Amino acid sequence: MDFGALIGVFLGVVLVNNFVFAQFLGICPFLGVSRKVDMAFGMGCAVTFVMTISGVVTWLIVHGLLTPIGAKLLGNPGALYVLKYVVFIMVIAAMVQLVEMYLKKFFPALYTAFGVFLPLITTNCAILGACLLIDMNETYQSSLLKSAIFAFGGGVGFAMAITIMAGIREHLRYSNVPKALQGAGITLLTACILALAFQGFAGIGK
Amino acid sequence: MAAPTTNLQQFKSGLLDNNPVLVQLLGMCPTLAVSNSVENALVMGAAVIFVLTMSNLITSLLRNKIQPHVRILIFTLTIATFVTIADLTLRAYVFEVSKKLGPFVPLIIVNCIIIARAEMVAIKSSVWRSLADAWGCGIGFTLALCILASVRELLGSGGITILRDAGWAWHLDAKVFEPHAWVIMIMPPGAFLTLGIVIGIVNQIRARGAKGGA
Repeated sequence: MDFGALIGVFLGVVLVNNFVFAQFLGICPFLGVSRKVDMAFGMGCAVTFVMTISGVVTWLIVHGLLTPIGAKLLGNPGALYVLKYVVFIMVIAAMVQLVEMYLKKFFPALYTAFGVFLPLITTNCAILGACLLIDMNETYQSSLLKSAIFAFGGGVGFAMAITIMAGIREHLRYSNVPKALQGAGITLLTACILALAFQGFAGIGK
Repeated sequence: MAAPTTNLQQFKSGLLDNNPVLVQLLGMCPTLAVSNSVENALVMGAAVIFVLTMSNLITSLLRNKIQPHVRILIFTLTIATFVTIADLTLRAYVFEVSKKLGPFVPLIIVNCIIIARAEMVAIKSSVWRSLADAWGCGIGFTLALCILASVRELLGSGGITILRDAGWAWHLDAKVFEPHAWVIMIMPPGAFLTLGIVIGIVNQIRARGAKGGA
């Protein structure tokens, strides 16, 4: 396994194709939970955690269950792919529940820290988006390790974006924003400038 | 604002007063992602209207049977089923557009607009009321998407192109505009910029209306 390629996958999804600034995934929590740095960081960590696990589990289900069962029973590896979306969303919901119960039992401190964010993550489109992107890309279809790194990097990129945004918003509180732009408006305009900065990474890698 | 009492009011509420994107700020991800061309916006809007209609219809028909504690699961599974149908249909008939929309058609499953409508309206209203609500919100979503998309596509690529193969294309005079087209408008920063400004304008209009009218 080429180590450089793995680093490329990681940096690609953290910087070049950042989930928030380049692919528009997870905008709702990005706008909603970015008022304070510690909350934003907690959300980012929870998302990274669940995203990595769901990415791996959905990959295993598609390649370990749906494809062989379709090939054996129905004679066509793609026969069960219509079930993909239903399976993905159920896996994510189940994963969030499992992670929540596991943390509550074995890492109560971490569980309290993640708090309300865990149940919210079920409807976070970044998680399902990561699973779908992995499923759509041929490079990741063939390699579980690359998929796992992609999902982990997606989470790290999201955590970075939301933490940067929260840092800026903590300062914005003291500035005189026009009334109509307060809240979502100014956050989106700030995101525009951040996205512009992230465009600078576009030439890297490939 | 008073709660809507007739089906027509319910429809208008979703379309304008409580527009899911511009006022309630729901479903931001697809709004930003697919508003880079009017064509994408229309196809995405059609998919959302279809899924929202079917999900509201089914939820409303089953509203007396669904146990409260499993309702979210039922909503999600209903939505996922119809999203699969919409996705396969789009791939069969408008493959090029469906490729451009990428993961955002399957992502309708976790679109908060649809779950919000099922939870807030369809689970406790009659079938016609739920359908009126679905069409109001669905068309409101499409309208918001088209406003953003026309601004972005006009500034970013100098003209609006819908179904180029069928000859439905309209371009400004290339000499006047195209060499100076702001490509950044169809790239991610343009999405954040346009949505931010449009939300600001909508807030301003609503503040004026609140001061002058009601």
